[in-house]
Amino acid sequence: MNTRSAFLRPCTRVYVILIALTFATFAVGELGLSGLTASLLVLASALFKGHLVGDFFMGLHGLRGPWRWVILIWLTLIGGLISLAFTLTP
Amino acid sequence: MSTAVSATAEPRYPPGDLAIWIFILAELSVFAVFFAAYAFTRMNNPDLFNTYQATLDRGAALINTLALITSSYFVVRAVAAIRVGESLRCARWLWLAILMGLVFLGVKGFEYAHHFGQGITLSTNRFYMFYLSLTFFHFMHVILGLVILLAVALKARKGGYDEREHTGVETGASYWHMVDLLWLILFPLVYVMR
Repeated sequence: MNTRSAFLRPCTRVYVILIALTFATFAVGELGLSGLTASLLVLASALFKGHLVGDFFMGLHGLRGPWRWVILIWLTLIGGLISLAFTLTP
Repeated sequence: MSTAVSATAEPRYPPGDLAIWIFILAELSVFAVFFAAYAFTRMNNPDLFNTYQATLDRGAALINTLALITSSYFVVRAVAAIRVGESLRCARWLWLAILMGLVFLGVKGFEYAHHFGQGITLSTNRFYMFYLSLTFFHFMHVILGLVILLAVALKARKGGYDEREHTGVETGASYWHMVDLLWLILFPLVYVMR
């Protein structure tokens, strides 16, 4: 039971954070906020959400070795590319 | 001695079959190319992308994001249940996760019907080419994920997993979380960032 709680409690907190950040992202869209700063903030929020899913839902949080970092590396890669493209957009 | 204890406490490999993680890495690589292609194509056509992005139903995308996140959380609950040997509880959480996945398919299908009803196709313009191909590619992954979850739920209901052997549940869960992860990037990129 303790093992299950130790797994579920952080995941439940992550679920609440994911829902809250999703509404924040939606609000940015509904308010019509645009431009580089707004876009990069929304992207940062999405990358953070992805990191939480990888670490807690996918269970990479407690690993040692290279598998611990695969999702974070992927997020960093696509985050960098998307940021670069939006930064270079005239 | 402490090293041995540490090695036992911190596993080296992720939950589920390692093959699914190789598959996940391949899928993530393909989507990374898609996401980058979208962003760099938009770089040369920002007005076109901003104009047609405004025609999308952001409310539907919100519902779909909430559905996938909730579905992923239900899968987490299913994994937690089977790890303590509660096979029927595991199956019940998986049915709920599948239901949320079906909500996603229904809402997305409604969006597609609306677009196709307006005569929008892949060749309408570059924005719709990316929007339709990216979201439909993801849509197909949702369908595959649901088939996997369905197979796992049926086996769990029959008591096919227990607290010692539940690799199948963790394998299906890992794939489903990847589907959720991809949408968490796709949603802001296509529907919000401008």
